[in-house]
Amino acid sequence: MPARTPTVIQLVGLGVTLGAVAVFSIFTLRQLDGLRRLESDSVDRSRRDSLQLIRIQNNLTQLGLALRDMAEGTEPYPITGYKPEFDRMRGDLQDALSVEAQLMPATRTPAQQEMLNNTFARFWGEVDHLWTVAAQGQTNEARALIRTRLESERSTMTTVIARLLVQNSEAEGAAVQEITAIYGRVEKNLYVLLAAVVAAISITSALVILHDRRVFAQLSRLSEERKELAGQVISVQEDVFRNLARELHDEFGQVLTAVGVMLQRVEKKLPDASKQREDIHEVREIANQTLERVRSMSQMLHPPVLDDYGLENSIEWYLRQFEKQTGFQVHYEKIGIGPWIGDTIAIHVYRILQESLNNVVRHSGTTEAWVKVAYSPASLCLEVEDHGAGLEGKPARKGLGLIGMRERAELLGGQMEFQKPAEGGTRVKLVVPLPAGGVHE
Amino acid sequence: MRRRDFLGALAAMAPPNNHPDPGFRLRDVTRAAGIDFVHNSGAFGRKYLPETMGPGCAFLDFDNDGWQDILLVNSMDWPGHKRRRSTLKLYRNNRNGTFTDVTRTAGLDVELYGLGVAVGDFNNDGFVDLYITCVGQSRLFQNTGRGTFVDVTAKAGLGAHDGFSTSAMWFDYDRDGHLDLFVTNYVRWSEKSDVFCSFDGRQKSYCTPEAYRGATCWLFRNRGDGTFEDVTAKAGLLDTSSKSLGVAALSYDNDGWPDLFVANDTQPNKLYRNQRNGTFSEVGVKAGLAFSEDGRARAGMGVDVAYLDDAGLASIVVTNFDNEMLGLYRATKSGAFVDQAPKTNMGLATRRSLGFGCFFFDANLDGQLDLLVVNGHIDETISRARHDVTYAQSPHLFLNEGNGSFRDVASLIGPEFSVPKVARGAAFGDIHNDGAQDVLITTNNGPAYLYRNEQSNSNRWVRVKLTGTKSNRDAIGALVKYESGDLKGSRTVKSGSSYLSQSETTLTLGLGRRERVDKLQVLWPSGQTEEYHALAAGKRYLITEGKGITQQ
Repeated sequence: MPARTPTVIQLVGLGVTLGAVAVFSIFTLRQLDGLRRLESDSVDRSRRDSLQLIRIQNNLTQLGLALRDMAEGTEPYPITGYKPEFDRMRGDLQDALSVEAQLMPATRTPAQQEMLNNTFARFWGEVDHLWTVAAQGQTNEARALIRTRLESERSTMTTVIARLLVQNSEAEGAAVQEITAIYGRVEKNLYVLLAAVVAAISITSALVILHDRRVFAQLSRLSEERKELAGQVISVQEDVFRNLARELHDEFGQVLTAVGVMLQRVEKKLPDASKQREDIHEVREIANQTLERVRSMSQMLHPPVLDDYGLENSIEWYLRQFEKQTGFQVHYEKIGIGPWIGDTIAIHVYRILQESLNNVVRHSGTTEAWVKVAYSPASLCLEVEDHGAGLEGKPARKGLGLIGMRERAELLGGQMEFQKPAEGGTRVKLVVPLPAGGVHE
Repeated sequence: MRRRDFLGALAAMAPPNNHPDPGFRLRDVTRAAGIDFVHNSGAFGRKYLPETMGPGCAFLDFDNDGWQDILLVNSMDWPGHKRRRSTLKLYRNNRNGTFTDVTRTAGLDVELYGLGVAVGDFNNDGFVDLYITCVGQSRLFQNTGRGTFVDVTAKAGLGAHDGFSTSAMWFDYDRDGHLDLFVTNYVRWSEKSDVFCSFDGRQKSYCTPEAYRGATCWLFRNRGDGTFEDVTAKAGLLDTSSKSLGVAALSYDNDGWPDLFVANDTQPNKLYRNQRNGTFSEVGVKAGLAFSEDGRARAGMGVDVAYLDDAGLASIVVTNFDNEMLGLYRATKSGAFVDQAPKTNMGLATRRSLGFGCFFFDANLDGQLDLLVVNGHIDETISRARHDVTYAQSPHLFLNEGNGSFRDVASLIGPEFSVPKVARGAAFGDIHNDGAQDVLITTNNGPAYLYRNEQSNSNRWVRVKLTGTKSNRDAIGALVKYESGDLKGSRTVKSGSSYLSQSETTLTLGLGRRERVDKLQVLWPSGQTEEYHALAAGKRYLITEGKGITQQ
């Protein structure tokens, strides 16, 4: 499988996400820009125009009130007395109209604008006429002029302005609709962006997870293979040991025994206290010693007791051997009755016991050890304990022995633990599951 | 840290002068002074609009004895609903903190539906005369100089002017040395034209001014022979749309000619620029005074104008309806006014009050002009409709803390002052000649309140009375600039201002701890300028135009 790292996938995912955000941002900015233009161009403008129209309308109302008072003649002042007020409002109206003309919406037709200007021009023409008539003292004519002409011109102006206001509010309504549509588009885009980002993130994550799983599967396969290999190494070693032990015992043992018997026969034929007899005896002794050594070696390599009498007896036999060879005092405790535990499991447990006790000899600095074997129907528990120096400081580099012990425990599907007993020293604890119904090879 | 320690530490962190003593108290001396006036609005259940509007009041020295007397305007029962006799009241200062009711001897025990008052010596005879604004025909009472007044309305040519007249002001708009008269009119109302307004559709309530047509203000030119000419139209002041309640004179363009500011209720305020040729032009909108900062015409009631700093730029205060804030329009160098109230705590403090009378005065004599505003709703059932607004309302007293910031100390200057009332008119005057300006407040259909200003800060003062010779005798319109060390101030002699009321025309110059006025400059309405030096604190001075200064 080609080694595609997740970094590439993540980078691609990030790129896609950033791309989506960038595209959306550009789009949104353009929409907002349009919105701003629309608001300032049409809505704001229309509102400002409407304000001017309202200002004009307000002035027209004021003029209406003044015209009414003038026509009714309720105040003891000549009609010309109102001229300053009219002049002020004329000025204000002119100002308002010129501002309004700059703000007027594009929908206004030239005809409408012309009508507006004409209406106002007509009104002020009539007003000027009014002042002339009033100044000549023709109060009644002036009042008639107000009632007939001025009032109607004023109401025309009011109508025109009102119509323009309606037009503005319609234009504003249309603009507002357009704005709402833009908001809608932006909203839709927001959802699209959200979906794109979510999709990009999901795909990236999925690819990364898939890749991880593949890596994990590979790892676990490697681990399995390694375990199998270790098991094979160990079992090959055990086979070699067993064969070697058998060879030693059977071949060399037979040969040496035969040599011994033959030497004894020769010895008996020689005269007592002769030099030759003495030599032969010596040679026989050496042969016997060698035989012992070969047997001992064979047993060390693969105790035949294991095959013949099972684990339980092998342990007891070994411990006796161990005590004899090392001078250690081993306190042995057995709990429960063990089932027949055959070769495959037994050899490993036996080796672990061996290695543990060897460690005690090597490292503990004491001469006492405790061995406990507890059997239960489902498992076997072996504990080897000493109250010596303990393992602290030493296993910075765990010896090959410890690794071997672990390998064997794992081969058996069991667990190895190194504990520290309350009295100090080291406790090696091995728990091995036992197949249901005992083990028969 | 224990909680008390923590709070203590917090308190210690607060600015040390968070609530400094204002340095004075306003103590209610109404009863002790012998003021027993009670306003009669004439209300009998029909809820006529004028009933809610009055009354005004004035400090004046009608007998020229150098002690401020008191005038209180009264209304009366409506025709056909007569229950009692009620007249305006004139109280003479006994010079010992008490007053004597001299209404009858002064010939002022006349019944009229009075609202406001303007005090001014229109005939330059040395004795101040009275113009009482009324619903119907307003009256001019001439001071005979012998402690009595004579109604000269018709003789002076002020008759035949029925209106709903509110504030009035004496000023010399043509600078001919004779006081002219400006009268504000509210709306076109009469018993016959009364409109039925109602909140619930059944019971009548007081109408807002929207229910009535506006009415033009009046300008009467003093011919100098004891008669007046109605120049309203000629001067370009005819404006039947306004609903005016307050008026003040100022020279907003600093040309020495008095301009007019008129506060209108629900209509744009008006600023009339004096064109120096007997006519005025209206520039309220241009000057930024017509509307609130958000462009609405508010319910303008009372008004006052003052120079709050030595920049020579006028500030105009206008009291408005509740929910509108008062307007504190400050002139800018460009000549346009900007309402500062929304930006200051003054706006916030006045949001729930319906203000009427208002005036700038130096309450603590530190040389900075403070602002007094009296409040009171027009609808006695308002608290039923609005839970945060009451009929009777506490006044505000904004202490000027320099650098344009004001602090409402109404609740810190004695419990008697902040008592909620349905206040209308307000005026100040020094009734004890002790340099501290005392306060007079009228209430609608209720008593008047006289508050003695008791200083506790040992601030110093100089009092100056101006008498015109070439100018009008009251020197109304005169501008006094004074300097004392680092302190610079400007005060004007004025009629009008506040609401329906007039304050004393003698000027009080607060000095803080300073010992004297180093320089005093008088700009007489005639155009003449005089300068005086080294006026000792704690003294009263009389300055006569062209004749110099004397210590009283």
